[in-house]
Amino acid sequence: MASEEPGEIERAGVPVTLRFEDGVEQRIVVARDEFVLDAALRQGIPLVYQCRSGICSTCVATVVEGAVAPAPGRAVALLASEIAAGRRLLCVSHAHAASVIREHYPSTLIDRRDSPEELAQGESATIRANVAAVEWPGATVGKLAIEVADGAGFDFQSGQYVRIKVPGTEQWRSYSMATTPRELPRLEFLVRMIAGGAMSEYLTRARVGDALEVEGPRGAFVLRPRRASHIFIAGGTGLAPILSLIDALRRRSGPRPPALLSFGCSSAEDFFYRDEIEIRQWWMPELRVRLSGGRAARAASGLLRGNPVEAIAVDDIGGVETDAYLCGPPAMIEAARRHLVGLGLNPERIYAERFVAS
Amino acid sequence: MKPDDKPPIDATARKPIVPNRLYAPYLEASWGFKNAWYPALFSSEVGENEVKGVTIASHDIALRRVKGRVHAIQDRCAHRGVKMSLRPTCLTDETITCWYHGFTYGLNDGTLKTIVASPDDPLIGQVRIRTYPVEERAGIIFVFVGDEDYAPAPPLTADLPIQITDDANPVAHILDAHVYVRGIHREGNSNWRIAVENGFDPGHLLIHWDNVIVAATDRRMGLGARPIAEDAIKIIDEPNGPRGMMNMYNTRAYKFFMENKVIGMKARGKTPYYARTSVYLPGVLLVEHWPVPGWAQYEWYVPTDDRHHVYWEVLVGHCRDDQERREADYLYDHFFEPLALRDFNDNDVFAREAMQDFYENRDGWNAETLCAFDESVIMWRKIAARFNRGIQDPPHRRGR
Repeated sequence: MASEEPGEIERAGVPVTLRFEDGVEQRIVVARDEFVLDAALRQGIPLVYQCRSGICSTCVATVVEGAVAPAPGRAVALLASEIAAGRRLLCVSHAHAASVIREHYPSTLIDRRDSPEELAQGESATIRANVAAVEWPGATVGKLAIEVADGAGFDFQSGQYVRIKVPGTEQWRSYSMATTPRELPRLEFLVRMIAGGAMSEYLTRARVGDALEVEGPRGAFVLRPRRASHIFIAGGTGLAPILSLIDALRRRSGPRPPALLSFGCSSAEDFFYRDEIEIRQWWMPELRVRLSGGRAARAASGLLRGNPVEAIAVDDIGGVETDAYLCGPPAMIEAARRHLVGLGLNPERIYAERFVAS
Repeated sequence: MKPDDKPPIDATARKPIVPNRLYAPYLEASWGFKNAWYPALFSSEVGENEVKGVTIASHDIALRRVKGRVHAIQDRCAHRGVKMSLRPTCLTDETITCWYHGFTYGLNDGTLKTIVASPDDPLIGQVRIRTYPVEERAGIIFVFVGDEDYAPAPPLTADLPIQITDDANPVAHILDAHVYVRGIHREGNSNWRIAVENGFDPGHLLIHWDNVIVAATDRRMGLGARPIAEDAIKIIDEPNGPRGMMNMYNTRAYKFFMENKVIGMKARGKTPYYARTSVYLPGVLLVEHWPVPGWAQYEWYVPTDDRHHVYWEVLVGHCRDDQERREADYLYDHFFEPLALRDFNDNDVFAREAMQDFYENRDGWNAETLCAFDESVIMWRKIAARFNRGIQDPPHRRGR
């Protein structure tokens, strides 16, 4: 990649060619202060994206020619080695010269109904729901089950989330469904209990039948239409969308691929859902499981010492055809991404959903 | 430490798993298991150039035999959805034509080759209907039913009973050389699972207590049998082979009850025998040494929809030559079919159809009250939940 002098940039912007996996090319013009993603969308070329803030890496692409660089001062969730290999997050990158960018998916992906990017951009609605149950599967975890109103037409894909307005407050919180669309109208969520947290406090006083407002579905953290081996890494209540994805994988068309679930909690005392995981191991002979209980986990707990990222070894990577799905706190996601890339996983096949406790 | 795949379980830290969660996928399988080999018709039912329609687990399938070979193709015309088998129309050896507007599909790949009424139609070559893998063995046409992208199909043997080897006089396997295979199939008015569970139920001998075959052959048949040891039920999980379970009636792991003093009932008969049963995915029963020693009865309960199945009863024996074959035909015609497949199994059909209302309309899967001998029913449900290759969706959900 030859670096170009800023003086060479035309006033109207620079031409950029987007080359898709299926050979289709689209030419766009990217203005001086415009991000490449925004330029593409403005010119009617739909690209895959989600967070638009340089983090989720959904929009990662490879610069083949020219000069495309992140806006100065932007934190970008790419490793130095990835940047050196030409990877860029188009949602926060400017084009400084005529460039060619390779997208890692076919142009037809965008036309697919229910495709990840369409989900991310799709319409969501506010619907009414009622509390069906509140349970306490772990010392610091609550399970909230709700039923959405009949005829609301609510549907979603495994891995997506909704926003819930915490009853009695004006606060909205986001939770991934731990269930699949088959369980509709019932939805289940895992809530990490935090002192002073709006939802945490609500759960302690929730009653069956309480009315809720739910907005969604949202998110593009869904199963990709690939046949490969799968690695799922979940930390704490990040298990929710992962369970939904595993259940979707079990019911998906075609032969079931081998899968590995690595799930961890910060301590053995906080560990939860062991029974739910054992049930899925019974249902899916091809599912292997690693359970981690944090630094202080003792052998008697039946849990591995350490975190669910460390529990993944090089032998677990089933070659370049492996897809990885991660859900947990931001630090876990970043560590997992680094670890998996270090073990040889293709960074474009790592899909992540971050959550923040609130 | 290299992480172990299955960390040891601390029994004290663990909540017990509710049994019916373990077999929850089985309860979802109202329309059957998909991605499995099912018998469609006997070979003799599809003559050269004939077309016959069958429905298996909601898949409508047309079978056509051309130059001896049977092809299986979707029995729904892409155009207006009619079943082509309703009025079979075949104009070439390589195609099947819909009788309505003449949409004509290639038998090998289902591609639209021409339309009788629109030979230059732009749809030609662009539209296709699906085809299904077929294996014709032992006088039965088997079809692999399920996801079109489930490829390659596993071998037929993976969905058949195992070859019996642990018996001094093992019964014939349906794919053996010199095998004699005859039987019947009929519609069953119940969900397929109710039929399977009746097939190997060790507690239902009461309905056979007074059957002609039992009395006439002086069988010493117990009132019932109950597993009393851990090895009463053997799980079968062969790599790329059959998955199922076997009731080890031939061992002391089962206790047979010969008398019930409460109601003063005693087993009759002096001829000791055992008819060991085993059951396999996707719902195949093997009864060894039945209706007489040396023979085997195979049964399939092929789902049609969520409240009907096709009940297959097939007898398998060995015949080395035409003389033995003639003798077998005589036995089949005058003994096996009337007394075993009809008289005896009619009682099973009666029981299955009697259960249907409870399981369909009265929450039977939750409301049932199972007892000690039902361990094998529970085991089957768990095994089926684990080893199936997928759960068939009802037709309106397919492709979602």
